[in-house]
Amino acid sequence: MTNSVNHESLMRYLDGEATPEERSRIEEALTSSTELQRDAAIFGAMKRDLQGMTFPLSRDPSVWGVVNRRITRPVGWVLIVAGFAVWTVYGSYLYFSSAIDPWEKLATAAIGGGTLLLFSSVIYERYKEWLVDPYRDVYK
Amino acid sequence: MQPEVERELVRLCRAGGARFYEPIVRAYEGPGLRIALGMLGSPDEAQGALQEAFVKAWQSLPRFDVERPFGPWFFRILRNHCRDVIRSQRSRSRFETRDEKLELRPAGVSSDPEHLHMKTEAKELLWKALSEVGDEHREILVLKELEDLRYAEIASILDVPEGTVASRLNHARRALRSVLLEMNVEYP
Repeated sequence: MTNSVNHESLMRYLDGEATPEERSRIEEALTSSTELQRDAAIFGAMKRDLQGMTFPLSRDPSVWGVVNRRITRPVGWVLIVAGFAVWTVYGSYLYFSSAIDPWEKLATAAIGGGTLLLFSSVIYERYKEWLVDPYRDVYK
Repeated sequence: MQPEVERELVRLCRAGGARFYEPIVRAYEGPGLRIALGMLGSPDEAQGALQEAFVKAWQSLPRFDVERPFGPWFFRILRNHCRDVIRSQRSRSRFETRDEKLELRPAGVSSDPEHLHMKTEAKELLWKALSEVGDEHREILVLKELEDLRYAEIASILDVPEGTVASRLNHARRALRSVLLEMNVEYP
């Protein structure tokens, strides 16, 4: 580089970020320094080619659908789980504190508990399968 | 998007209105995807990183200073996420020079097929060189050359002083030139 122009100044000049004084100093140096001329030509051409690399991604759908689901679904799940928990506790309390025969209570609790166990084991199995599914990220 | 419109949308989002996030997502997904693609190389991973960054930005909105522009703040989240992806080595071995969703288009419009072919080939070499230039160099080249951001915006995204941007660009461009020379591509 020349005495008055360093590498960073040249970058600012090529990127249109140089101050007017810096620009005129570089332009003056460009008329006399072949090294500076060569660097300006090399990096200028490289810059044009890089800027010409455009990516038409119009075939990809917007990410909004996925983002929307991810930011709104947790709220729905929290509400459902909270409501379910409240109803379960309150319903169980009402049922077990009622005057129904204890055998009837036990049988109903066994059916309810068994259904919940089966349901949760199916969900757990599906989750384990999903974890190792090689096609889980493939969009349909 | 007008800054005052953007500020208002961000305020509404912070109040819990998820639907007000849509115009913001649509405004920044194009440049965001190009940045992620430039940093990660794979269109699928870029799309995944973009989604993740939008979700992280949504979760961090309460800490966002509404008086500042959303773009540089979001791009910083995206850049940090892309860096995490690169660090976890998921994308390194899968840098694709070509993909059916990715088409490198020459800058100039030419009707000469041979000229068009040569230009496309040159762009592919440039893309390959960009993938081999190193993460730090690649990210600043992507922000400057592909997104054409100002030095002040780049400084804000990379969290470095504005004066450092020119210096890092100088090193990145020289590194890219060295890689291209190793590939027997000489400029100009």
